[in-house]
Amino acid sequence: MKFKIFLLFVGAIILGCQKENTEEVLDPYVLRRPDYFPEITYPISGNQISKSGFELGKKLFNDPILSLDNSIACSNCHVKAVAFTDPQHNPSVGIFEREGSRNSPMIANMAFQPEFLWDGGITHLDFVPIFAIENEKEMAETAESVVRKLNASPIYPTLFKKTFPSLDTITAPYMLKALSQYMLLLVSDQSKYDQFLRGEANLSSEETAGLTLFKAKCASCHSGALFTNYAFLDNGLDVTHKDIGRALISARAEDTGKFKVPSLRNILLTAPYMHDGRFKTINEAIDHYRFHVKDTPNLDTRLKTNGKPGISLTDEEVENLVSFLKTLTDYKFISNPIF
Amino acid sequence: MNKILIMSLLALIITSCGKDEVIEKGAGSIDIEFDNVAVINNIQNQLSLVTPGSTNYTYTNGIGQPFNLNLLRYYISGIKLEGPNGASFTDEIKVDVAASKGIYLIDESKLAANIITLENVPAGEYNKISFTVGVDTSGVKEGASGGVLDPATCKMFWNWNSGYIAVKIEGQSPVSNGGVGGTETLNSSSVNGIAYHVGGWRNVEGSAFVNNNKSLSFNFDTNAKVEKGLEPHVHMILDVISLFKGQNIIDFTGNHNVHKPIDGKPLADNIPNAFSFDHLHQ
Repeated sequence: MKFKIFLLFVGAIILGCQKENTEEVLDPYVLRRPDYFPEITYPISGNQISKSGFELGKKLFNDPILSLDNSIACSNCHVKAVAFTDPQHNPSVGIFEREGSRNSPMIANMAFQPEFLWDGGITHLDFVPIFAIENEKEMAETAESVVRKLNASPIYPTLFKKTFPSLDTITAPYMLKALSQYMLLLVSDQSKYDQFLRGEANLSSEETAGLTLFKAKCASCHSGALFTNYAFLDNGLDVTHKDIGRALISARAEDTGKFKVPSLRNILLTAPYMHDGRFKTINEAIDHYRFHVKDTPNLDTRLKTNGKPGISLTDEEVENLVSFLKTLTDYKFISNPIF
Repeated sequence: MNKILIMSLLALIITSCGKDEVIEKGAGSIDIEFDNVAVINNIQNQLSLVTPGSTNYTYTNGIGQPFNLNLLRYYISGIKLEGPNGASFTDEIKVDVAASKGIYLIDESKLAANIITLENVPAGEYNKISFTVGVDTSGVKEGASGGVLDPATCKMFWNWNSGYIAVKIEGQSPVSNGGVGGTETLNSSSVNGIAYHVGGWRNVEGSAFVNNNKSLSFNFDTNAKVEKGLEPHVHMILDVISLFKGQNIIDFTGNHNVHKPIDGKPLADNIPNAFSFDHLHQ
């Protein structure tokens, strides 16, 4: 009898321990939405994330096998250390040193985005990598040829089979699902600002002043927890357009020169700025809004005060604003060994 | 009392007989064949594709401009059969990473693919067919899918404005001034190339987003009887000439390099009248 009670005790202790563990160590291969983030847009039921699927996606993301001459990987223009953007080129440079027309966008929080690319031409994350693979200025390869290379590789068939046991041969949809599994888990929600939102950290007086300014002067477009309303807007960069932006997709004249409002998370890491990477520093980008907004026909009305284009900010206000923007840098994201 | 018992017994026997009958008849198959033809002077001619660059022009559009075709490929999805006595069958669409059930790719260069065999069709008589030409939202929202939707192999997928091409046509016309590049059978040196990649799966008012998928219905001239051991064969027709001279005349001196939903609308609007039911045999 005593022995039985002893056993029960041991059982209770073990159970208690297990409970504590599950509360503290979260499975890193599960997509979680912080409660202040927008809803997940990706139909996850059709692509259940697993550790092996995520790792396969990561391997593909970093493998130049996806490009025509096996020279360039996704990670060449989406560098982890700078929140998966391209720090060196404006705009980005693809295969054979071909200059692209646009600035490589951040890959973070993809699970919550309604549309992709600067012009929103892609409506599902799975279809983003095939665009880069087959774009002549990026990887200049065909998905068909990549699939052939993957099937002939000594390692990939085993890795795919491990993730997708029912698979016979590797096909493009499986490759794209694996890449999505990797990108879906790239969630950036560990910045100082996130800690502040969760009540785990306080902002300094400069950062608080910057946040107040941001809310008053920027947040109508850079809205919500991801700092974008996902609208396509003209922010007064040019009167004539080398790149017509959203109009390329919508064919509407009034969309000429409009680009997607980008997220500002990790903004201090993701220079250069704008769709074509024309501004090298955050101060150049802010100065555009202060002094250089052009009164274009499609200019967003929020960028006009009393009929004049631009946002008025004093030098001191700019300093506070930059202090606040620095709180959006997520060092845990860029140093996460799993990513 | 006895009467009631007998009646109930009878009723039981009748209902169980009915049940047995259904089980015995069960389900069968039906073939839907898409025959691509060129109707000239009211005569159906089997479509013949030419080698790219050919200057042998057999067909003319609604304004007398000659043309020929190198490639004809289109999606059929969401097939539904109905009968005069309530028989009904819906070929469910189910797309995932491995396959795309209920979506078929008709390809004039692969004639075997032009016969769709529907299995497990409930026994009964059918006299009406409905289907969509193209792949609707359900095929796009799941993301990358296998089977005939595999973007690497179907060659019916737009990367830059993601979605599937419903109908893809490439060929030549002597009145075209070329300039058609980046297609399967044409390149910048194809002087007389014409390319109509007709797609688009959503309507956004006042924009270039147009849904060019067409949902069509046709009545049969007789009933197709489906049951175990029978496999009726339905012949549907696509007349390629009608694609170029229906509600809208497709002028080869105009935009003959179509790769956007809005640009494909005139041809898409000709699709309903280009399809027809031809005949069926048991």
